[in-house]
Amino acid sequence: MSQYLPLVVLLALAVVFGILSFFASRLLAPRRPSSAKEAPYECGIVPSREPPERFPVSFYVVAMLFIMFDIEIIFLYPYAVNHSTLGFYGFWAILFFSVIFFATFVYEVARGGLDWGPMQRYRQLATDAAMVTPERTLASTVRRVGTEGREPESSSPSAA
Amino acid sequence: MLAQVDTFVGPEVNWFALSPLIALVAGALLMMLAGALTPRWPNGLYALACATTAGTAGALAMVQWDDITDNGPTTLVAGAVAFDTFSMFVTILICVSIILVAMLADDYLRGTPNDGPEIYALLLTAGAGGVVMASANDLIVLFLGLETLSLALYVLAASNRRSNRSGESGIKYFVLGGFASAFFLYGIALVYGATGTTNISEMVVALQNTVDLETPDGLALAGVALLLVGLGFKVAAVPFHIWTPDVYQGAPSPVTAFMASVAKAAAFAAMLRVLVIALPFYRDDWRPVIWVLALLSLLVGSVVAVVQTDVKRMLAYSSISHAGFLLVGVEAAGHTAGELDPGSGMSAVMLYLMLYSVMVIGSFAVVLVVQRHAGGDSSIEAFRGLSMRRPAIATAFTVFLLAQAGVPFTSGFIAKFGVIQAAVDVDSYAIAVIAMVSAVIAAFVYLRIMLTVWTGTPAENSEPIRVPLAVGVTIAGAAVFTLFAGIIPGWLIDATDTVTQYAR
Repeated sequence: MSQYLPLVVLLALAVVFGILSFFASRLLAPRRPSSAKEAPYECGIVPSREPPERFPVSFYVVAMLFIMFDIEIIFLYPYAVNHSTLGFYGFWAILFFSVIFFATFVYEVARGGLDWGPMQRYRQLATDAAMVTPERTLASTVRRVGTEGREPESSSPSAA
Repeated sequence: MLAQVDTFVGPEVNWFALSPLIALVAGALLMMLAGALTPRWPNGLYALACATTAGTAGALAMVQWDDITDNGPTTLVAGAVAFDTFSMFVTILICVSIILVAMLADDYLRGTPNDGPEIYALLLTAGAGGVVMASANDLIVLFLGLETLSLALYVLAASNRRSNRSGESGIKYFVLGGFASAFFLYGIALVYGATGTTNISEMVVALQNTVDLETPDGLALAGVALLLVGLGFKVAAVPFHIWTPDVYQGAPSPVTAFMASVAKAAAFAAMLRVLVIALPFYRDDWRPVIWVLALLSLLVGSVVAVVQTDVKRMLAYSSISHAGFLLVGVEAAGHTAGELDPGSGMSAVMLYLMLYSVMVIGSFAVVLVVQRHAGGDSSIEAFRGLSMRRPAIATAFTVFLLAQAGVPFTSGFIAKFGVIQAAVDVDSYAIAVIAMVSAVIAAFVYLRIMLTVWTGTPAENSEPIRVPLAVGVTIAGAAVFTLFAGIIPGWLIDATDTVTQYAR
């Protein structure tokens, strides 16, 4: 056990250093707060609003794909270096591993892991039918640009 | 270097002996793949596929059981996996639990975004992890199983995306579980440092051959302590139980049932593997720790359950007190660990796990039914007057609660009697008496729930409580088993008596 003594000493030193510097900065440092010092960032754009709570997670799915390939290459690389000594046992093992890996890849792609852009939804027949009903008129489908929200002029009332 | 070795001879693999595990993993992979490539399957088919897979794995485990009782236990894959009745018993237990939970989950998931193959595949994956934990003959393999089980459970706990509580329980379980896994891994590293191996068979030999009274074995003892922390977290023993009520309450009820049965069984199997089978050399060092863990779990679990107002939290604390009872069995097994006559501790723990799993899944099935009716409310008020609206469900619930309290003619009595008798057999009277006293305290909780179910009058707006067929079958099956195993327990006791013939 004695060979671990330096490790224990190092651990104790780290803890002592942490505690000492924590209290030393409290005792010794001058305290002159200003609004610039209190701000989250010292430079850059001034934050004016809370960040949105929900954000698209497409990149997270891509990161998952990356990790999958990453793990495969971690195992494939040592196998490729030693494939002659590992022989058929290694070959079948790595093939089996690759098949299972491929299954996860197929799963993710089939679940839309590579679909980008706005969310794709299956088209509903009901909405298609609504496109060709006789109720649709020029006034209900075409909106005149620029008339919304304007001050209504006295001479010509704005179109609906 | 490996490159200088001319030929690498891989370990011989007896594939058929691994078939229960392979069935679970293959089933999970196939469900994920086929489910993603095909349009939505008809209602109930995902659950059916999951239950069929688990049933196949369980049947294969029974076939292996016959093989083991004929030819004796052995190890597989170059000593990495133990092939014995101990592992097969846990495999069968896990498979039965998966079938029951799949039946509960079917109706629960309909109409939610989770109505796909994923939840069921996760159940199977978690089950496979549990099987690996129970049958590991190497601490690294055991850790792999632990992580497979835990990672699947973290996702399952957080799987109800419409509920903030579910997400909270998933995060809590994940952070604390990751912490516990780190403790466990550090323990493995220290034990490896002390013995020079992670293989359980070699570890036992190494510890017996290097008895050296001069050098202190602080390294190994620190390792054992860290292993105990990791395992104590997974079984929810008391100083490490803080996560249990919140996670049990927040997780979807089928998942809670799964955690209380499969995760607990796998964790106790791993605890027996590590302590009783791998480290009997240090039994006099870890046994007092288990004693204290058992004492605290029994008392805290039963006393704190009394003041709860939410039935899921009550059942969570009661699961902690059940963990205390199981630890009494582990403590009893510790007295005779590593000897030729292994005593009855291990068998008692295995019997307890099997009986407890069925009754706890039954209990959470009833909670599921009531909770859905009450719009997600699982407080004790939601159970008021259940007997007037659904007498059959109320009767089954009473059976489960009586069994958890340990009333005779239910399986709970057989389970509690087994561990207390095992403790008395090795003259561990103090903990046996404490266990019996805590059973009396815990009985108050169950009586309180029963009183609410049977005496209260239901609220005004009492629509009929909907009981889906699969859930009804699960509740009925679990209730019948709880009574049947309580009245005719001989066959199950005979089966658990063989688990002490473990491979090493």
